[in-house]
Amino acid sequence: MKNIKNILANFKRYWYLMTQIILRDFKKKYKRSVLGVLWSLLYPIMMMAVMTVVFSHMFKFSTEGTNYLVYLMTGIILWNYFSEATTGAMTSVVDNFTLINKVYIPKYVFPICKCMFSGINFLLTLIPWLGIIILTKFGLGDYPASINIYYSFIPFIFLFFFLFTVGIGLIISCLSVFLRDIFYIFGIVLTIWNYYTPVFYSLTILPESLQQIFKLNPLYQYINTVRDIVLYGKCPSLLTMGVLAGMGIVSLGIGALIFKKNQDKFIYYI
Amino acid sequence: MIYVNHVSMKFNLGIEKGFSIKQAFVNFFDPKIRKKKTEKKYFMALNDVNFHIEPGEVVGLIGSNGAGKSTLLKVVSGVLKPTKGNVQVNGAISPMIELGAGFDQDLTARENIYLNGAILGYSKKLLDDKFEDIVEFSELRDFLDVPVKNFSSGMVAKLAFSIATIVNPEILIVDEILSVGDIKFQEKSKNKMMELIKGGTTVLYVSHSIESIKELCTKVIWIEHGQIVKIGPTRKICDEYFEAQIGRGKK
Repeated sequence: MKNIKNILANFKRYWYLMTQIILRDFKKKYKRSVLGVLWSLLYPIMMMAVMTVVFSHMFKFSTEGTNYLVYLMTGIILWNYFSEATTGAMTSVVDNFTLINKVYIPKYVFPICKCMFSGINFLLTLIPWLGIIILTKFGLGDYPASINIYYSFIPFIFLFFFLFTVGIGLIISCLSVFLRDIFYIFGIVLTIWNYYTPVFYSLTILPESLQQIFKLNPLYQYINTVRDIVLYGKCPSLLTMGVLAGMGIVSLGIGALIFKKNQDKFIYYI
Repeated sequence: MIYVNHVSMKFNLGIEKGFSIKQAFVNFFDPKIRKKKTEKKYFMALNDVNFHIEPGEVVGLIGSNGAGKSTLLKVVSGVLKPTKGNVQVNGAISPMIELGAGFDQDLTARENIYLNGAILGYSKKLLDDKFEDIVEFSELRDFLDVPVKNFSSGMVAKLAFSIATIVNPEILIVDEILSVGDIKFQEKSKNKMMELIKGGTTVLYVSHSIESIKELCTKVIWIEHGQIVKIGPTRKICDEYFEAQIGRGKK
């Protein structure tokens, strides 16, 4: 209990620093770009448009009885968040070496800031996402999406998803300090993970036996629960929400433990 | 205020080499290297350093290059964890180990004041209140909206010094920074330091300039090869240090 209080007090103390770091990242990201923050809105729409053309017209992917656009875009925004946040977190500790070497700052600040920074971007992508969902009601795509009361579960799903991502981010940022090869390895892992996650295809195209293996993917669980709500208007069961929360907390717990155990050694390896 | 209890700092020189496939391959075919690899090389940057500093003391650290002064400052400020021993600090530390370490080259001076202030642990309110003072002291009002990458090193140092000294810190850790900027700013920064010292700030100060040590410090710690040679009153230790340095040079 005292430990948790300590952590929270520390968090409060460094909160202003974290907002400044996130602000810095934001300013740098859109520096010298004409459209600036508009890109956060345009990018997912463009990605969706390209992928829709490629997958539904060229490869003839479709999801029977549901709106493929919404199916695809839900997958894309969640997957993009995960991939952007973890990739950013991966290099965050190494990139801020000059600071770590000169001033005492708790090092977890850097990967967590990256996850939050991508999180802001993610929240912006929700605007076009909701826009597309509403447009399906006016005839965009083959079937309309569902708008229902269960949307109130979505913020919680996103929160658990955030915790899950922070956990992975902490682990990967810690590993990459000791082994720079991780920069390359993780890129490959992410590509495999991308295909392992049903972003543009549906699990039903796979044989029954394989489907079980694909369902073990935490990302699938998060994406699928959101899709169930927006496409089918299905209320997530208590068990599902429990599993999503559990995965988030376990990931964060493991990440925090690994990071805490190793953070004092960082300075010798950077 | 600051207690440094039997602190040792051991660096593993082998870490930089690390492990790579290439190295493993070479080692495999060269037994000589393979043998060498097994004996690890260590470097004791600090060896059983033990002292304490009372509140309000201004302590100078002297010693040759590579004696362990900067390592000691890093241990005290919490950047490095000692291999052995421990450090106990009562009070908020404001480290001025390397000016401008927290600056982001792409951001403007204005943005960097807030970023660097946050890194030093200042609150938003304090920065808002003191913003004008910082700008005033740094003499960089005309360049507030210029990215720091276009600044000269002197300007960077001026800005960083102004941010770091804007509050009266309880403990100030200073590594060779009074020589920043032009003569006018040097004078100004020295006065600022004096002001802080008079205000009761505890200072740990590293410099190669014996003059400024004599001027500022009440006590001096002389270290060589990671060990304390002597601790004592400023004038006495400085003279002995000077003697030893020049004497060694003559040989």
